Amino acid sequence: MSNRYSKILLIAVTIICFIFMAVSYIDSQALGAVKSCANYLLVPIQKSISSFGQAAAAGINENIHLHEVYNENEQLKAQVDALTSENNRLKNETGELDRLRELYALDREYQQYPTVAARVISSDSLKWFNVFRIDKGLADGITKDMNVLGGGGLIGIVVDVGPNYSTVRTIVDEDSNVYAMSQYSGDACLVKGNITSYESGLIDISNIDKNAVINNGDAIVTSDLSTKFLPGILIGYASDIKINSQHLTKSGKLIPAADFTKIREVLIVTQLKTDTGIVSMDVQSGRDGADLADILPEESTSAESETAETEVTAVDSDNAG
Amino acid sequence: MKFKKTVKRIIIYFLLVMLASILQTCVFPLLNFLWIAPNLLLIVTFSYGLIYGPTTGIICGMFAGLNMDMFYPEPIGLFILIYSYLGFFSGLFKEDFRTDSFTLPLAVCFACDLMYSMVLFVYRYFMAGSADIAFTLTKIVLPEMFFTLLLTLIVYRVLLVINRRLDKIDDLRGQNAA
Repeated sequence: MSNRYSKILLIAVTIICFIFMAVSYIDSQALGAVKSCANYLLVPIQKSISSFGQAAAAGINENIHLHEVYNENEQLKAQVDALTSENNRLKNETGELDRLRELYALDREYQQYPTVAARVISSDSLKWFNVFRIDKGLADGITKDMNVLGGGGLIGIVVDVGPNYSTVRTIVDEDSNVYAMSQYSGDACLVKGNITSYESGLIDISNIDKNAVINNGDAIVTSDLSTKFLPGILIGYASDIKINSQHLTKSGKLIPAADFTKIREVLIVTQLKTDTGIVSMDVQSGRDGADLADILPEESTSAESETAETEVTAVDSDNAG
Repeated sequence: MKFKKTVKRIIIYFLLVMLASILQTCVFPLLNFLWIAPNLLLIVTFSYGLIYGPTTGIICGMFAGLNMDMFYPEPIGLFILIYSYLGFFSGLFKEDFRTDSFTLPLAVCFACDLMYSMVLFVYRYFMAGSADIAFTLTKIVLPEMFFTLLLTLIVYRVLLVINRRLDKIDDLRGQNAA
């Protein structure tokens, strides 16, 4: 008797779930109302629990990690020394850079994007997905595809928004692909999350042209090519770059600037890539073309792409100026 | 009377699953020393399936899946489907259920966790296109399974005690009403 009921129930659940999945796969916002409705109940609880829990966990972790902190302190002192000397060297080079900038009229500074701070209220404790939820939503002006920063670098992107919460997919999630470039040379690459690399604190970078100048330690920033990520946001530093076995492209690892294990507060950039006035539509498409050429491994195209890139940069700086 | 009892039970399942889901997403991530956390919702789902049979298992699974679907940006329905099937599967073992033995709950937990991991692995393979089976097995599936089995020993017993109490209260009320 009970068994028959349960089978009918199971079949009903299966059919409803497949309809739901199909609908939300085709249009991710179609079932947004259902989600927001259920989350009206859940989010306030999560908010209060997480603020209480964070305070408690801070107390516990403080004692556990005291030893770690001592060691880290030693390391950091050494790092400060190294950085101070590097800073001095760089200061010397800034003068030269300013002169060269004037020379090339490349006066485009890194944009200061408007941001909103938010607190992480819940995150995924099973490692299949790398997403977390923050306590700001539509009511605070957050919309889908806004970039999320924290700890000195890019953390992820808003993928789902409700009235009082939003869900962020981090760049270490396997579904995440970010078009990036070297801050120095402007050579394009693709930053792709990978669970294997993430375990050792890294992210994969690939699709680097074999002639591109990206060295270990170079800062990797988001590229103008990306349709969702604003340009010039630091992602991390390249490491372990090597030529692939086919000798056509290079790939390697990236040491992220943000620490993904301790995300508590984040900054959401309230400016969307689609409404930045910097890149006009036709320039954008021209850039996309350049991007394809960059990624194509043939040597002949890479030369062309370089010229395309410089042309576009010229147009771009005209626009900005 | 029976209808009222059923509704009351369903509300209790819902609240328990919600509590588990909040522990899962708000409290477990704060424990920094755990690289991976146990799957509490899975434990609740299969425990109810095992104690009360497939129908209850499916209902609990639906609530558990709904909670997960609300959290993840994946298509709605994926987790409801997984968890309600797990609830149904564990419910099939109700007949062989012996309260004082831990062997069956642990075996069912193992089977459920394995199925859950397999479905998610296949899903991730099709959506993100990466499949490092050795890594996934050693770094995600096995640690999660270990902690889940460990937590089963406690949570299953607690749920059993709670439900025995509830059954007793309901029985007494039934007698009084009669």
